[in-house]
Amino acid sequence: MRQQVIKALAGAALVTLGAFGTGVAQAQNCSAWLVENSRFMGVPFGMFHPDRSYIQGSKEARNNVNTVDLPVNVGVIKCGQELILYDNGWNQTDYHKATGTEHWAPLSQQIAQLGFKAADVSKIIIGHGHWDHAGSLDEFPNAMLYVQAEELRGIEWALNYPGHERIRAHNFDKGGCNRTPACGYPPKTVDAIYGKVLRGKAVIVNGDMEIMPGVKIHAAHRAHTAGSQLLEVPTSVGKLVFGSDAYSSWEAIRDWEVANIQQTDSVQQFLAYEKCYKITGGYQNCVAAHEPLSYTDKYPLTKNSWVGMNGGRLAEIALAPGEASRKK
Amino acid sequence: MSATNAAPQTMRLNAKTVGLWSVLALLVALVGYAAVHELRKATLVVQPQASTHAFSDQRPAHSAAEERFSQALWNIHADVRTAAVRMTFAGLAYKMGDGDRASVNTKVAPLTAVFREAESALRSLDAPASMQETRNRYASALQLYGDASQEMVKVALDGKDAHLLKAQEMSEQASGILLEVGEQLWPGEIKPN
Repeated sequence: MRQQVIKALAGAALVTLGAFGTGVAQAQNCSAWLVENSRFMGVPFGMFHPDRSYIQGSKEARNNVNTVDLPVNVGVIKCGQELILYDNGWNQTDYHKATGTEHWAPLSQQIAQLGFKAADVSKIIIGHGHWDHAGSLDEFPNAMLYVQAEELRGIEWALNYPGHERIRAHNFDKGGCNRTPACGYPPKTVDAIYGKVLRGKAVIVNGDMEIMPGVKIHAAHRAHTAGSQLLEVPTSVGKLVFGSDAYSSWEAIRDWEVANIQQTDSVQQFLAYEKCYKITGGYQNCVAAHEPLSYTDKYPLTKNSWVGMNGGRLAEIALAPGEASRKK
Repeated sequence: MSATNAAPQTMRLNAKTVGLWSVLALLVALVGYAAVHELRKATLVVQPQASTHAFSDQRPAHSAAEERFSQALWNIHADVRTAAVRMTFAGLAYKMGDGDRASVNTKVAPLTAVFREAESALRSLDAPASMQETRNRYASALQLYGDASQEMVKVALDGKDAHLLKAQEMSEQASGILLEVGEQLWPGEIKPN
């Protein structure tokens, strides 16, 4: 009898420990910030968001804005000891003069404003491989890169397309490659991705993947490029979904309109929007890469913002329990 | 009686006339408004979007000779960029298991010729004195790309990733030079994505 009691108690203790262990493995709330790596100035609104094209003389608020300034937003996510970047901005300083960009600063210096060191970045999830989202990899040598296999295969498919040369055009005309399938992947950017792969610092992702408890990659293929991917992050303000250029415009997600069509299948972009609605319960917590309203009250998730180095803005979105504010 | 009745009748007639004219005037106004509205809608022009050259070129204007050189190099550059990216993807595909060692050789060996031919074409360009340094820079990138391709194909022989790593470093260095030249000659080459 006594032995039975001891066994029962031991069993209960194991169950309790097991439950505790499971609890530890369960999703913990992460902290999240947004960093404006740069801003593309004076972009025609309709080029970015077709339903918002400028119509001369229009009294409609939706169609009377000619140009917009588009931030290049990078997510900075801290989950326990892991420091994660969602998207990677760009550090190819030669580009920024050529693209009408302002407020650019090296991403490693920008995250230092939050008190983080580049060497401490452990993971980089790129929403896709375009140069303005995967362009600072060399600044974070310790970080493991997560990229969709489909993204890489999609570019190679285009480069080797046997039909019309415009399909495989990497850059057919001065001034832009105009949404051809391999557009947006200059040699420097793909070399840096390849360098990560060669050095064993990359995870080639096939579809969805949980990279740590509660932090999940969701494939969103063709929602912007062949291998676009989203990142779900649990926080104190609810789940966030970072979307890179699948979520270029937060207003477009809200209004169910396409935006920033590059290699986008509009149906897949809508399905990516729906993913955010399903995961977060609406559109408020969808984190957009180029939303012109970022860092203002009009995009509430990002309104807790301030101005940092070189005029680039930052936002503190959510703090995990015990995490002190890094807002300056 | 009749006289006494005449005035109200006239008044009634006038009232009818005035009413009819009022209705007619209202209809004309409505038709006019609708016509103007439709016409205005038809003439509302969607403002043409800025061209692909949306961002201003703030560099000093090139001379005619510089512009000719820039255009000629662009024609070379387009092929070089594509070849460079193809070389990188040959390595990526191999590392992703989408091909064996031999496939690296199959894909990359022809690219060596592309880079060497580009070098030859570059040398034949008539570069003004102000563009000599640019030409030399670009030539050094082509040399690096060519060497990288030759290094890369060695993996087909011994399967050692060291060749790929060495080639990748050369290729990335060359890609940086391409950016520097592009910054000087082709502002707006890279667009927001």
